[in-house]
Amino acid sequence: MSFTRRDFLIGSAALAAGTTVTAPFLLPKYHSDQRPKRSRVAILHAQQYSQELDQILAAGLRLFPINVRGKTVVLKPNLVDYIPGNAINTHPLLVLAAAESFRRLGAKSVLIAEGPGHQRDTQLVLSQTGYQQSLLDEKIRFVDLNRDELIRTPLRASYTGMKSLWLPRTVLEADFLVSMPKIKTHHWSGVTLSMKNMFGVVPSARYGWPKNILHWKGIQQSILDLCATVPIHFVIADGIVAMEGNGPLNGSARPLGRIVLADDPVAADATCSRLMGFEPDRIVHICESARFLGNASPALIDQVGETANAPAAPFQVVSEFRFLHAF
Amino acid sequence: MTGTRGLPNIGIPARRTSSAGSTSSFFLRSHFDWATDSPPLRRHNAWTCSDQIRGVALRFDRKEVPHYKVPTVTTDPVVLSALLAELSLRQLPCGGWAALASSSQPAIEPTCYSSLVLGSAPVGDIKRAQDFLIRTQNPNGSWPVFLGDDQEGGWVTSLAVISLFDLVPAIPARLKGLHWLMSCVGREGNWFWKWKFRTADRHVRFDPDKYGWPWFPDTVSWVVPTAFAILSLNQVRCSCGGLEHVPARIDCGIQMLLDRACPGGGWNAGNGVVYGTALEPHPDDTAIALLALSDRGQHPIVQNGVQCLERLSPTLTAPWSLSWAILALAAHRRPIAALRSSLIALPDLVSIEDTSTLALVCLALDYGHTVSALGVGQ
Repeated sequence: MSFTRRDFLIGSAALAAGTTVTAPFLLPKYHSDQRPKRSRVAILHAQQYSQELDQILAAGLRLFPINVRGKTVVLKPNLVDYIPGNAINTHPLLVLAAAESFRRLGAKSVLIAEGPGHQRDTQLVLSQTGYQQSLLDEKIRFVDLNRDELIRTPLRASYTGMKSLWLPRTVLEADFLVSMPKIKTHHWSGVTLSMKNMFGVVPSARYGWPKNILHWKGIQQSILDLCATVPIHFVIADGIVAMEGNGPLNGSARPLGRIVLADDPVAADATCSRLMGFEPDRIVHICESARFLGNASPALIDQVGETANAPAAPFQVVSEFRFLHAF
Repeated sequence: MTGTRGLPNIGIPARRTSSAGSTSSFFLRSHFDWATDSPPLRRHNAWTCSDQIRGVALRFDRKEVPHYKVPTVTTDPVVLSALLAELSLRQLPCGGWAALASSSQPAIEPTCYSSLVLGSAPVGDIKRAQDFLIRTQNPNGSWPVFLGDDQEGGWVTSLAVISLFDLVPAIPARLKGLHWLMSCVGREGNWFWKWKFRTADRHVRFDPDKYGWPWFPDTVSWVVPTAFAILSLNQVRCSCGGLEHVPARIDCGIQMLLDRACPGGGWNAGNGVVYGTALEPHPDDTAIALLALSDRGQHPIVQNGVQCLERLSPTLTAPWSLSWAILALAAHRRPIAALRSSLIALPDLVSIEDTSTLALVCLALDYGHTVSALGVGQ
């Protein structure tokens, strides 16, 4: 069989074309590997929202080598909307307990920041959820991230294909960002935990209510781009009363009696998923983020406090996400 | 210049310190006399406005301002004067307003609401505000959300067009804005996405044949941007020069609003039913939709919306939603005296951090003028 010059050229062209087509799928979509060698997660027991959360949280934070002395701490709770009786939002008592704990740890300032995704009237959400009075009483500043000053920020991953996002100055200038999600199921993304909670930093005044551009670019992909770009330094997840079923708004309350603390959002979300009875490797953004953002494998997580046992009955989900259930 | 964490900084000046906190208790005194209690002369962004505000307030109190012919102003002059004074103090040297009192990044939404306020009250610098709006228009006719934003445009274009209504030097800018609005379509207006929403993506209940306007190009239609676009296109008085299809487009937008209503009445962002569950309405979204539908008051969905808003409003404690509710119910000729009393009674109105809300409270207190400026309820 002879191999002509023409065959060589055709073969080279085919190889080049194949490389061009497949390379985007093979090359990593993140700019840098930010994974710590090991991660630490603490599961704390708390049956109800009460003033005792101050002590529980303070004791939990002592399990971590946190240094916030002289730093600006931004607490980012999950405040979406208010529907009476629905466990949608991170409970204000937990957020206040966190603020108090970080103040005691020597933080220069502690503020709460959120950009609700559904409700344009942020003050109404604060008022209805009980935050407003608590913030006034405790003299804690709240920043509406939907209307904060914006800075164009290049994305540090390319899962969505977007080059940059306009992000709030308050978040970008934070020395220590704490994601404080409600542990919930979500009918578009399976779960909404510490990484999905970062949708709240995307300003709705710029991108709309709900943050529609992120849905069009892919929710899982957007979570990855956002979390690669805006590092979460710590997680305090509210699972005292969680939500299952048709979350994030209309699911059912699911008492879980747990608060999850972690120094790695991927480890936090993987652990929360296990507590919900889900297999974290089946949740796209957790599985993918374990390649460059943090650790999802139990072998790389130092578990303190309680163990991450799956519940007797897994959290209910909408039919499209039944494959998340660990068998 | 580099921001924190090595991120680029586009050169936004440092945050401003809010003036609200220092003035709130002063302005909220029950017996306020502008002649003797005027605040000390303050420099704000290198210009002084105290004298101007004092003069304006005196004219309000004496009911000499010809623009104000509705009873709202004369009954609540002190509150409105204080709010106007604060709003004027927040105007930036460029002529625009920032979204938050602590910010110095000029944004279009608060500037539009403030311009509508200043359009009837000779306080602040309306000329500079209008110049700012004209200056910030994108080459494609749209408006950015804030100064320095990308140039593809967004939902605030409708507000800018409304704010520049009746301003002769702004006619070319308004026309360009209107043409951009006519070219801006929610994604479900495209056959491919229509087909997708009919066949594969059916968890949110809506009719993709009925489309309106998106918050930003290349996303689907939502209630608030559609309502604002209808309000602005309703102000077009001729069907010529490429605007022949305005009535048809308005009608399509109205059909979209009616389609997206919540089953129990009212509107939220635009998802009435998701995964078979009826979602709750939001008072502000409901009010804005009702303003756009003010000439369809007899339609059962609109009547449901009005009843829903009347049911929700008395419990509201947030000035943004309460103000929109007042404007919408006024446009539908419903009683609003109790709501106005609630609004005025809210504590520390001048300290509101969100400038759009501050301006909106002024617009709600002067609802007669505002409803007229929006071209509804006539």
